[in-house]
Amino acid sequence: MKSKNSGKDFCMFALPGMFCFFAVVIIPFVYGVYLTLTDWNGVSKVKNFIGLKNFSGVMRDGQFWTSLLLTFKYVIFVVLIVNVLAFAIAYLLTRGIKGQNFFRAGFFTPNLIGGIVLGYIWQFVFSRVFVSIGESTGWKLFEVSWLSDPTNAFIALVVVSVWQLSGYMILIYVAGFMGLSEDVMEAASIDGASGFVKLKSIIMPLMMSSITICLFLTLSRAFMVYDVNLSLTAGAPYGTTEMAAMHVYEKAFTSRQFGVGQAEAFILFIIVAVISGLQVYFTKKQEVEA
Amino acid sequence: MGKRIMKKVISSGLVLALAVTMLTGCRFGFASDPDDPNEETKEVPIDTSVDTFEYDTSLSGTSITLLNSKAEIQVALEKMTAEYEKKSGVHVEVMPVTDGDSPYTKVVSLYNSGTPPTASILDTTDVIALAEEKAADLTEEPWVAEAEGYLTEINGKIYSFPLCIEGRGIIYNKAVIEKALGESFDPASVTTQSEFVELLDRLVDAGIKKPVSMAKEDWSLGAHQLQYIYETYEGTSEGAQEIIEDIKAGKVDLSSYDRLSQFLDTFDILKKYNVAKGDPLGADYDEMAIDLADGKTAFWFNGNWAWPNISEAGASEEDAYGFLPYFLNDDKSDFANQKIQASPSKQIMLDGQIATEKEQAAAKEFLSWIVFSEIGQQMMVKTCNIIPPFKNNPYEPSDPLSADIYTKVHEDKAFNASAIVPNDHWAVLGASMQKYLAGRSDREELTGDIQKYWDEQE
Repeated sequence: MKSKNSGKDFCMFALPGMFCFFAVVIIPFVYGVYLTLTDWNGVSKVKNFIGLKNFSGVMRDGQFWTSLLLTFKYVIFVVLIVNVLAFAIAYLLTRGIKGQNFFRAGFFTPNLIGGIVLGYIWQFVFSRVFVSIGESTGWKLFEVSWLSDPTNAFIALVVVSVWQLSGYMILIYVAGFMGLSEDVMEAASIDGASGFVKLKSIIMPLMMSSITICLFLTLSRAFMVYDVNLSLTAGAPYGTTEMAAMHVYEKAFTSRQFGVGQAEAFILFIIVAVISGLQVYFTKKQEVEA
Repeated sequence: MGKRIMKKVISSGLVLALAVTMLTGCRFGFASDPDDPNEETKEVPIDTSVDTFEYDTSLSGTSITLLNSKAEIQVALEKMTAEYEKKSGVHVEVMPVTDGDSPYTKVVSLYNSGTPPTASILDTTDVIALAEEKAADLTEEPWVAEAEGYLTEINGKIYSFPLCIEGRGIIYNKAVIEKALGESFDPASVTTQSEFVELLDRLVDAGIKKPVSMAKEDWSLGAHQLQYIYETYEGTSEGAQEIIEDIKAGKVDLSSYDRLSQFLDTFDILKKYNVAKGDPLGADYDEMAIDLADGKTAFWFNGNWAWPNISEAGASEEDAYGFLPYFLNDDKSDFANQKIQASPSKQIMLDGQIATEKEQAAAKEFLSWIVFSEIGQQMMVKTCNIIPPFKNNPYEPSDPLSADIYTKVHEDKAFNASAIVPNDHWAVLGASMQKYLAGRSDREELTGDIQKYWDEQE
């Protein structure tokens, strides 16, 4: 009787969701992996099985590894800066300072603007506004467009991504701070913990669940960055800021090597899955109950 | 209580401000904003009184789709298809390829979802990639005879309709040159590279410190500039194909290939007089059009598709703009110094796989209508503002750049060559060209990049 009932419940509640999940995530994913083993070009009717030839194509594609390395560099900068900054701002914004709700909304706003739009806005800022500031003040820093120099263009990408992602993370950290129990804080103060000790021994462990989420979100978003990359630099100058996701797209659709592009996407997926899996595993271990 | 009233006042004030701005319509925007809603477009009148085209009445009521990858004629195409529907009863839905999507990606994804467009406007390379697998054979169509020299044949068959001729070269603003030099300027008087440099130097002396604009975009550098090395091999598409095969096979040593070194000489000249010399990769495309129209510069390397930008920057159709050839050397008899490049660029391909026979017939009729009906001919030139490759079309384009190309094509002052290169040529070698433009690589490295690119092709 009981099992029959739960079968019905499963069909009613889980099946539609499962169906959608399979239809739009699992099946395309498995199919995509299958495509890496064929020579399909996206158009032809026949797909020939060619084994691991596409993967050896990936090995030969030096530009892919360069862009992957760049992506790692980008991820390290973005994840660190975003989380430190968001944590600090969230801390300030939960201490009851004047107008904190206004600030919370203000910091969150960039996250509401789509990456493409944001990229174009900042492109204007970097290549026009900064340059005209440079012209009128004579500051060396703003003399030429940041986007025309490989190092500065990379910094520009990091700056914009940090600006966009921080707001969201601030929101999660703020929620985490609000959830901290007053009793525990008070007890810690009575026990003589203050300032840095309180932050390290009491707040950080209790905030670990927020940190897990934020690290996971920033990691996966930074690895898969495409929209800001496309609209802000589009790989310029001369392909030096092309991140892995963008390279995969270019390989598949501009160079029309679908198989190799798909194989690169799969490799990128494995890397991101392993890294964020490890991150979740280790940060989860640090989580404590109040 | 007072606080609450304050809040109310502020919020209603905000609402009011928003409403007012919305109602009046923001009147700010950049001079070159292509979507500026305040801009007034003038209608070119189309004479619809004469129409001798014979419509197939059995097709009336058919509905077909047309994928448009030429964004600047989207509105014009809609007008054109509306006119066609009035006459024939065939509904043509024009689907734009959105910004950022490549036409090829779009058409492939439509094929994979089983709903391909009946007709699609594509680049020649895309047609070559898709034709034999997907396209309808158009070899027997009546317009084929009118477009001699502008057709793309694949294994002896024609799968695409050449939509327009586009040309490129060094655009000049005649008024600016004449004003600076204080004398009349005859573009035909500049016949060699040295004479061009001489002219540039005179302009510099006359106060135009940096008279040239050069786009930093990879499609401009990698496709429009660099492809001269193939297209000027002998000035034909076949010649371009030949030299590409030779480079691929290693039969031509690029470091001693004369067209490459000549091309780089000219490129260096443009680079030297570039208005954005201080930061060539920071150059802004819209600003170049404004600079040319305002007279800050006198030349811009580009093609006739740049007219909408120049016109939005303030130029009018009565102004004198035109093309100088991309001078390659000092040999007056070299065709590269006498002619500009102009060849068909966009092609319409019909689906031969999913579309029903009736839909295919309707699409074929639409193509014939463009070529043979008086209305189609007019709308092609006047509404879409393109240069048709069909001999029987008597109308001349009105904007100065297209008009210049039109004249040059008819006076044999243009060479019809377009190199068919792999689809990522512009992106990969565009990046190498950017590096060279920025002065971060030398000729040797650039030549090496080009050779490496071709070595990697199968």
